[in-house]
Amino acid sequence: MNYLYPIIKADYLQRSRSYAFLITIAVTIYAAWSFVPPPEANYTTLTMFGYKGVYNSAWVGHVTALMSTLVLSLSGFFLVIGGIKKDVDTEVGLIIATTPISNFGYLFSKLFSNFLILVTISGLAFLVGILMFFVRSSGYPFHIGDFLLPYLFMVLPAMFLVSGLAILAEVFLGRKSILQYLLFFVLFGVLMSNVNNNTKNSMVTVTDALGIRTVFNSVKDKVNTEFNEKIDKVSLGYVIHKNRTFKTFVWEGLSWDGLFLLSRALWISLTVGLVYLSSFFFHRFDFKQSVKKEKKKTWEDLLEKPAVSYAGFHKSALPPIAAAYGIIPFIRTELLLMVRKDSKWLWALNISIWVATLFVPLSFAYSFLLPVLLFLQVSRISELTTKEKTNRVHYFTYASYKPLQRMLPAQIIAAFCLLVVLALPVTGRLLMASNLMGMLQVLNGSMLIVLLSVCLGILTGSKKLFEILFFALTYIVFQGIPEAHYLGALAFKNYAGLMVIILIINALLLIFSFAVRNYQTRNL
Amino acid sequence: MILEIKNLTKKYNKQKTGLSNFSMTMEKGVLGLLGPNGAGKSTLMKIIATISKPTHGTIFLNGEDIVKNPDAIRKILGYLPQDFGVYPNLNAYEFLEYIAAMKGVGGAGLRKRIDMLLDGVNLTAAAKQPIGSYSGGMKQRIGIAQTLLNDPKILIFDEPTVGLDPEERVRFRQLISEMASDAIIILSSHIVSDIETIADKVAIMKTGTLIDKAIPSEIIKRIENKVFETVISNADLPAFKAKHLVIDTSRQGDKTQLRYISGFQEIEAGARNVPAGLEDAYLFLTQN
Repeated sequence: MNYLYPIIKADYLQRSRSYAFLITIAVTIYAAWSFVPPPEANYTTLTMFGYKGVYNSAWVGHVTALMSTLVLSLSGFFLVIGGIKKDVDTEVGLIIATTPISNFGYLFSKLFSNFLILVTISGLAFLVGILMFFVRSSGYPFHIGDFLLPYLFMVLPAMFLVSGLAILAEVFLGRKSILQYLLFFVLFGVLMSNVNNNTKNSMVTVTDALGIRTVFNSVKDKVNTEFNEKIDKVSLGYVIHKNRTFKTFVWEGLSWDGLFLLSRALWISLTVGLVYLSSFFFHRFDFKQSVKKEKKKTWEDLLEKPAVSYAGFHKSALPPIAAAYGIIPFIRTELLLMVRKDSKWLWALNISIWVATLFVPLSFAYSFLLPVLLFLQVSRISELTTKEKTNRVHYFTYASYKPLQRMLPAQIIAAFCLLVVLALPVTGRLLMASNLMGMLQVLNGSMLIVLLSVCLGILTGSKKLFEILFFALTYIVFQGIPEAHYLGALAFKNYAGLMVIILIINALLLIFSFAVRNYQTRNL
Repeated sequence: MILEIKNLTKKYNKQKTGLSNFSMTMEKGVLGLLGPNGAGKSTLMKIIATISKPTHGTIFLNGEDIVKNPDAIRKILGYLPQDFGVYPNLNAYEFLEYIAAMKGVGGAGLRKRIDMLLDGVNLTAAAKQPIGSYSGGMKQRIGIAQTLLNDPKILIFDEPTVGLDPEERVRFRQLISEMASDAIIILSSHIVSDIETIADKVAIMKTGTLIDKAIPSEIIKRIENKVFETVISNADLPAFKAKHLVIDTSRQGDKTQLRYISGFQEIEAGARNVPAGLEDAYLFLTQN
């Protein structure tokens, strides 16, 4: 196994030495800071119907670990998926395929480097969590174990599982990124749907993939015993509470029993086992040739043409060209590229959902189907401003006539047009229901998605950060937090304030995108 | 048409300098750029193509400063970068229409022009296939075709013959000859024979500076009577290499046939003077 170390190291360094990774770290630090809100904040991260724990070492340590598990499981998948694809794109895979490394050895090294990336990020969240204990100090003593053990027994196994799921998704679903995201979204939803299961038996502990349920049950037991309550649900995540007062309690943390530790070991083993099984299905960079075989030349064909046939052209014979500085051809090409991205089955799914948004109740179409439909476009939208560099077409783009005034607006307009067409049934129905504000919110939110992709793509050169953010925004929509609903979540209320905020964000994203791209076009 | 490069310097950081006080003037015809890796050829081409800004210096095209006003050259520029890519989901027609739009080219004749260009680079049969299915040589040819979409007056080719088979290289040379009558063509290549055949003038670069620029025959003259061939035993080879600039070797059992450049007056025993070529001159100038 010694030979795996340099592979893991190289892969880890390659991935961590990127702008996108730096920004992810910055976002993680900010997020970890928000895991422990100040007492006067209008949101909480772990509460139960009017109760929350005092900020002792155990509470801060476990809340930070729980939130890290939730947020990093969700975003970590997007962050680490693509390691194998990178080897395909860079053709390093072809070199790897000729080496003695086994399929499992290769996939295991990818699994481990995925894990190291997530360990790096969760490690930062861990450190910020400790810092936050002292920042929000309530006079309780500090115990390092209250921070360390939840990270060791909950966060790290969860990160290992997510790292493995990313490998499985790449092996079995290849480049079908939308399908990868959708299945993970569903799987994550299934895993999270059962975290408030109050049944207490060993199977419940063993099947708790992320380890969250065990902590929830301990917290619920504490509140129910101390206040003689019958609370059966814990809220984890950013929950807005306006002017709400909480009763506090002192929770001393979880006693990590043998069964819990065994269950973590089982999940880690299962991950390794699944990756091992997937190695039998791994393509090892041997793809079917898509090039159609040319018809074999006959002797007659060869005799007809001289060896060097300059089919050529005479410069004077070339038809004259006219100047055309419009952006319509760009918009057309951008749309063409987006439409051709991903497979036909996804378009069938898009059309089905699009038709459904015409007939299901408007509130359902607005708050559920439309966000799903828009999220299904994630891989089309996320490449808007990164595909030039990914495909190395940027040399042409940047050397073109007025690229900033023509290319970038065309990309924004094309993506916006696509989303507007997809949202047409909902916006049309809102208009017919005289809900002009609702319709504008949808357009505003669609533009936000486009501009987020444009700005983050230009800034990081990678599509990952946008994909993580879009996934998080969609997840928040389903959590029913109206203040964080990018499409307004108004259903039939008018949140004009939110609309103005999104408009301002859009304007800033637009200005920033143009400014950075302006610099990039002249500084290759 | 005249392209004047004046005191161009490009510093990437404190340690890395791409170009150092580089000056050169170009007129119609083909200028071949030669130089070892890291000599600054691609940097120079990127700056002329306006996708990279110099740290100091400027470039004038017919008196217009293109560093300050890049759009002045972009309308008449054809640029083939060294490691360009394509959108794999587009076919050749769609890709060339897209590039034409970038160059601000349209009109009724565009489709016909694309047809003729594709025919010229021998891609008509594959024109409707996604470019993702093309071989490396086919992609290189579509790269060549796109340079000619806008009737360019400045053509920049960075390693254009990479991936082309011998037949395609001949076709490319013919194409360049045809374009050279009313355009400035700058061409870099590691294949010295390509440059020798095509270029009217040759510029040799080293560590970001211009070390020579002249017509090929003049550059070759600089090493006239200095190129020799001889046969020595394999055991003597290291000592010989330490003394002379060895251009080429070919093993023949326990002996080695050598082609070398000597700066000394006296000729090694058994050596014979042979006509010099551009490759000999290039190696002599860049390794001294």
